[in-house]
Amino acid sequence: MSNQIFRLMLLLFFAMVSQASFASGNIEIDTPAISQIEKSMQQRYSQLVPFYTSGAVGFTQDGLIAMHDANAVSLAERQMVNSLIAAENQDRNSLYLEIARANNNLAWEVEIRHTFGQRWIKLAKLGWWYQATNGGWVQK
Amino acid sequence: MRRLFVGVLLATMPLAIFADATSTRFQITFSIEDIQSPVFSAKGIQLKVSGKKLSQLSLQISEVVVREQTWRDLKMTCDHFKLTGSLVDCTSGVLQLPNTELLPVVFRYSFLENVFNFAMKPMANEHWQFSMHWIEDAWRNKLNITNGQLARIAQWLPKMEIIPVPSKGTVNGIAKLSGNAEGATDVEIALLVDALDFSDSSGLHAGEGVNAVINMNAKHSSIDNRWQWRSDINWQNGGVFWQPLYLIGRGHRLDLEGVTSEGTINLHRGALSFVDIGTFEFSGVMARQNNELVDFKLNTNSLELSVLFNQIINPYLGNTAFADMQVTGKSKVAWRYRQGVSESFEISLYDVSVVDQRKRFVFNRVNARVPWHKENATIADISFLNARVLQIPMGATRVALEINDNDLRIPQLVLPVLDGTLELENFRAARQIDGWYWQFSAELLPVSMEKLTEALQIQSMHGTLSGIIPEVNYKQSTVAIDGELSFNVFDGEVIARQLKLIDPLGFAPHLQVDLSMHNLDLDLLTRTFSFGNMLGRIDMEMKGVELSNWQPIKFDAHLYSSSGTYPRRISQAAIQSISALGGAGAAAAIQRSFLHFFDEFSYSKIGWRCALRNNVCRMGGIEPDDQTGKLKGYAIVESGGIPAITVIGYNRDVSWHELINRLKRITEGGSPIIQ
Repeated sequence: MSNQIFRLMLLLFFAMVSQASFASGNIEIDTPAISQIEKSMQQRYSQLVPFYTSGAVGFTQDGLIAMHDANAVSLAERQMVNSLIAAENQDRNSLYLEIARANNNLAWEVEIRHTFGQRWIKLAKLGWWYQATNGGWVQK
Repeated sequence: MRRLFVGVLLATMPLAIFADATSTRFQITFSIEDIQSPVFSAKGIQLKVSGKKLSQLSLQISEVVVREQTWRDLKMTCDHFKLTGSLVDCTSGVLQLPNTELLPVVFRYSFLENVFNFAMKPMANEHWQFSMHWIEDAWRNKLNITNGQLARIAQWLPKMEIIPVPSKGTVNGIAKLSGNAEGATDVEIALLVDALDFSDSSGLHAGEGVNAVINMNAKHSSIDNRWQWRSDINWQNGGVFWQPLYLIGRGHRLDLEGVTSEGTINLHRGALSFVDIGTFEFSGVMARQNNELVDFKLNTNSLELSVLFNQIINPYLGNTAFADMQVTGKSKVAWRYRQGVSESFEISLYDVSVVDQRKRFVFNRVNARVPWHKENATIADISFLNARVLQIPMGATRVALEINDNDLRIPQLVLPVLDGTLELENFRAARQIDGWYWQFSAELLPVSMEKLTEALQIQSMHGTLSGIIPEVNYKQSTVAIDGELSFNVFDGEVIARQLKLIDPLGFAPHLQVDLSMHNLDLDLLTRTFSFGNMLGRIDMEMKGVELSNWQPIKFDAHLYSSSGTYPRRISQAAIQSISALGGAGAAAAIQRSFLHFFDEFSYSKIGWRCALRNNVCRMGGIEPDDQTGKLKGYAIVESGGIPAITVIGYNRDVSWHELINRLKRITEGGSPIIQ
């Protein structure tokens, strides 16, 4: 069920970003590495949802995720959430770099990251947390 | 203290006393505007003694400051108060600190015995008892705590977001402080903390159910004005999360012993013992003026790496390529820091195994002694029993690594790779501003393709792989090979040039290479891949090959018949395979009825092209693409001899995934789809 939601989000995401225009970059481009990263993110999504919902984890402006409220997680789980965040951010960083690389323009990575950051926040569910442009946390 | 207390009392009383003439009731009021001392300051102190026989006391202090912490509106009242020439006694008082409940207190001050006792009993089984005793200039303070609620301490402390505060737990024990007119001379603390919960506001520094025993004593020497101290903490139970570490108390200990003088803190002996890991012993000197470490010495006993890595090192590797490693074995570490800089470091490994969970590398039975010295060159001795890097197995290896500050060198190294060897020369590595840089030259002595393909878990091939590599270098996450790698396969030669591996241990490694293949034996090739037999020789140029996560994403390939004289035959099965590769739109220019009569045909040329872009292979044949668009098909097999065959492909663009699937179906023995 969670994977289906992730797929739907990804679909919506690409539908939205395809309208974004930055230097004619193809953000929908697919390569084996991008597929592999998306698959890895998709598998992790169901593990992250409870922490998005509880407010423990939120979306940052630079297209990554971060610990928002560690108190929402039991003490013993906090390190595991840290690891999940680190793994997810590694995938996200790789994804942005791969899309830029597949477009033959590594300089686009910053703009791709920014575009993804905005869209992830837009697609976040009600009650989830994200970081506003001033750095403060906001609940959707 | 005594002088202050008595002096203030005697000086102010005559001014403030007034009597109610109609009764035995008196009221004494006196105020102190400001008290300043090196330890604390207080403002707006008002003491009122009233009631029958002056039996009621009221004390209000508007502000108390101890170091940088401020408390406001402190109040204490006592309904059973006695003031005589030798005694101040309260047997039923109430203390009210800001934001806390009312605390029942009693206190007694004996001028004759020079003793002040203060006791607080917030709950039935909770008791805080403070006593102060002095003779002439010598004084002695003692705090006795029985089931002290640690959450209460949090209420007393001003709220600060970054400081973890206790929310639960008890403390039992004694704290003693004694001294003389010049100040404190002895400190003794023995506390037992039980079931402590604490957290800062972010929850990134927190503990639950922590049990610990804390002992500390310190003695001041007036001769050289220094404190000699020692302390030990034994963490017995409970979990602590201190971003990013999560540790569980199992009897871990911290023992410290040293001397604090006016200018320095000298740690003579420190020992941090983690159960299941080992002991870190250290000593050092810190300048008090700027809190900077001047000298430090660290030595460990044999550390259990599996626990050390999982619990303490790995949480810091979350965003690196090494986050998925499992490490086992033992290690010893020694570090010397002198006059503000690292002077020497040595790490020894004993039977260590390093396994990457993502199967990028494995090193087994690593033994090493790696010394480093700031001033002198050293030689590290590193060996491993076997290893596997990017699925390629390596045999037992021993390396003498020359270390000169940040410069690493290996003059020569023979690395057993599969059934061949990789001979490295002039390996040099150095840390530069933008990260690590390394380079070496190498010669790969023949490795059998059979072993290599088996290791890579791909279609088995025969032949050898060898090459001379003038230079391999690594910079900014990219391995580049300057020179040629030569593969002898299928009785021909494959040469790899411009080989570049980007982010080899990253999440999406990229490989770029140009491949030239010459004179490959089609018979061996088609037999190996069960494609349907063909006789002949082929060349192939693959320019700009790019692999992402080891899958091709881009190349320009051109396969064509090699020059020279050799038998050129193609079997009916191979024709069907070629047709099947073309998919629904491809057609073999043969008559099926005619085909039944022959098992194989002659040809004069074979040619096939594929330009892979965006997962689509744009195919072509023997001749370059017809730009005019007049020709609908392209010849893949051109006829020659009898019986002759010509195969024309019509399908220009094929999805790469579809092409691979068709090839798999054919080579795995499934029926080709011919339409």
